[in-house]
Amino acid sequence: MWDNLSLGFSTALTPENLLLCFIGVLAGTIIGLLPGLGATTGVAVLLPLTFTLDPVSALIMLAGIYYGAQYGGTITSVLISTPGEPNSIMTTLDGYQMARRGRAGPALAIAAVGSFFAAIVSLILLALVAPPLAQIALKFGPPEQLALVVLGFVIISTVSGDSQIKGLLMTACGVLLATVGIDSATGTTRFTFGQLDLLSGISLIAVVVGLFALGEVLAQLSIGEAKPIRTRLREMLLSKEDLRRSRAPIMRGTGVGFAFGALPGGGSTLASFIAYGLEKRVSPNRAEFGKGAIEGVAAPESANNAAANANFIPTLVLGIPGGATTAVLLGAFTLYGITPGPLLFEQQPTLVWGLLASFFIGNVILLVLNLPMAPVFAQLLRLPYGYLYPLILCSSLLGAFAEENAIFDVWVAIAFGIVGYFIFRVGLPVAPLVIGMVLGALFEKTLVQTSSMGSGSFGILLDRPIALGILAVAALLLVVPAVLARRRRLRVAHTSLVSSESKKDTHV
Amino acid sequence: MYTQPPQRRLTRCFVIATGSTLLLGACGASVGSGGDDDWTPEGRVTMLVPAGAGGGSDLLARSVGSGFEDVVSGLNVNVENYDGLPGYAQLQKAAGDPAVMLSAESSLITVPQLADVDFDYTSFTPIFKLGDDRAVLTVSEGSEFSSCSEVIGAAESDQVQVGVASATGIDAAVTLLTEQATGVEFERVPFDAGSELVTSLLSGDIDIALLNPGEVIGQYEAGKLKGLCVFAEDRYEYDQLKDIPTSVEEGIDVTFSQFRGIIAPADITDAERDAWVEVAEEFTESDAYDEYIEQNYLQPNAVFGEEFSTYLEEMAESLSGVSEQ
Repeated sequence: MWDNLSLGFSTALTPENLLLCFIGVLAGTIIGLLPGLGATTGVAVLLPLTFTLDPVSALIMLAGIYYGAQYGGTITSVLISTPGEPNSIMTTLDGYQMARRGRAGPALAIAAVGSFFAAIVSLILLALVAPPLAQIALKFGPPEQLALVVLGFVIISTVSGDSQIKGLLMTACGVLLATVGIDSATGTTRFTFGQLDLLSGISLIAVVVGLFALGEVLAQLSIGEAKPIRTRLREMLLSKEDLRRSRAPIMRGTGVGFAFGALPGGGSTLASFIAYGLEKRVSPNRAEFGKGAIEGVAAPESANNAAANANFIPTLVLGIPGGATTAVLLGAFTLYGITPGPLLFEQQPTLVWGLLASFFIGNVILLVLNLPMAPVFAQLLRLPYGYLYPLILCSSLLGAFAEENAIFDVWVAIAFGIVGYFIFRVGLPVAPLVIGMVLGALFEKTLVQTSSMGSGSFGILLDRPIALGILAVAALLLVVPAVLARRRRLRVAHTSLVSSESKKDTHV
Repeated sequence: MYTQPPQRRLTRCFVIATGSTLLLGACGASVGSGGDDDWTPEGRVTMLVPAGAGGGSDLLARSVGSGFEDVVSGLNVNVENYDGLPGYAQLQKAAGDPAVMLSAESSLITVPQLADVDFDYTSFTPIFKLGDDRAVLTVSEGSEFSSCSEVIGAAESDQVQVGVASATGIDAAVTLLTEQATGVEFERVPFDAGSELVTSLLSGDIDIALLNPGEVIGQYEAGKLKGLCVFAEDRYEYDQLKDIPTSVEEGIDVTFSQFRGIIAPADITDAERDAWVEVAEEFTESDAYDEYIEQNYLQPNAVFGEEFSTYLEEMAESLSGVSEQ
């Protein structure tokens, strides 16, 4: 163990690798910061530049881009309600509200602290117990994933702001959008209208960019420019109270994120969403959620970082990508002539442990970069919005294009920008639509897989204790709040009856 | 299928005319049949990939790209990734442009047969095929099956679940061909990628999967998964794979390979095509080519130009029965 770690650090701490790690996390932060440009695109685009490096150095840099982007994605979510990465969508809800109240600094700082904590805990677990965890993760087959998606749908009702009906309506729209394209089970084309561009479905990035970035710009234009926010320095810094309130949410977010990230194919977008949903259930300050609760930033930001790091468990231990970005990284392994697979730890100890050690170093660099920068970034809000629009528009449309080199996606983004504006005008929540898209695609896939595994019957769910357990939790989440609310209503009715009777008594 | 816009045709005539006055008469008659011996590849070339970075088609594109750069000095190959079919759309748009290529595999044949798209393999100019990738019937180490004939035997009476990564992929084709040849029926569980099949084999959620050896060699070496038979006439010569019997040995009369090759847009001239074929021939004699083939466990059956066209024709014919199912 210690031999491995010292081998890892001696590899990662060479001046060249240290420099590449720094370049990687810095590039990642910037890529994450730009709406639309995500980690997957960033790694894919920069991959060819690394061919001249040796494999360890190249992977240290590419991985740095990946987890660096998780930090960067937060910044625009908080400042301009535009997620830099899809997994920062939940952060827009409370982070942006905090910024509007002059608390952008603490929001960014707590995101950095939470992300750092989540990353370090995940990495320690990764270094200590990755192999057994990978075996447990394998138990999450299609039926378990289906159960998780069902849980996700149940949780949506808790994060849809003031009205559950509105939230579910938008979720349904998202699910419908996810049906466009070639159906993976039968190869049938759906809602493509003979358009080649639609065959592979509607790009999630383009929709996110459109709804959030362009939609927000249009909305701002229509209501008149938002006032620049001036704050005193004291409000820009994390207070003791902030840290106290965030402690538990950061830990819960880390747990949720780590669990999701360790599953092959479990996404960090889903992880941050579930973490937010969970927090909104259990937090003593749940009434503040959606209005600028620091817990609403701390939990999802910790979750998406924990998930990003835990993603390396299936990737390194089993040779199976944990998500889209790690899939590109695995492709890079092959390009460097390294066979990814279960023997990686044995055959390439320098590479694996060097990479892991670089994650620790990279996260320290990111914390040092991000914590002092939080108040600086928050100062951006002093700029009149007018100066930010062109930058947001350019970066968003570029990001929509860059994911698949498709002009079509730029049109999709523009169309969803207009849709986003109208959604804003009629007061519907935007986040459930995107979550619906993510969940919808997974729901269909796992539903078909589960039914094929059971030869057309869902009875197979009964043989899978984990799936059954998750479904039971989902059922409880649906039933318990309803029962509690009913009892509360009864009690309120009862006490008001009693008090009115006692009033009568005094009258008499 | 693609009709060339008139202004393009004029430009080409002009280029050919200035290049070699002898061929002036030929260009009006039939586009593409005239030859200009002077054309040589140079400058910036775009290599389209109808798949994401890191996948098989992407690896092919990057290997060929850097290989071509070594063969032709001053050549600069830019790889552009597209999300599937839009990559082919780009190649259609580039008709007549010899500076665009696409890294293709068997879905060039299967996608037009299964999906409603406005192109097929005849819409492009085949340059060369680097080699063939095969499908190996793969199970987990603890599987109840120890041979392909056992799998078929079990499928006659019981449900055998086969994971399929894509409805237009080699695994779907081999599954269907096997069903036709043996009369058994498999229960298909659809997935999105080969890596998901590996996960589900490891966890025991599916019984079998048909995978390219390059996708699972790490798992074979670790003893987590094992190959039961390869759908080919002859066994592999690679050390790690040579003990895997063939489908024919196992009494299953199905052989099928997935090609990996490079195609150019429609309407490039014969001279332009021949120039690329020459570059390709030189590339296949290089160490870089051998390295690519060995790293991905391919069969080095390179064919060029016309021969590649004939190969595609035969493949389309052999699969046409499959897609009518």
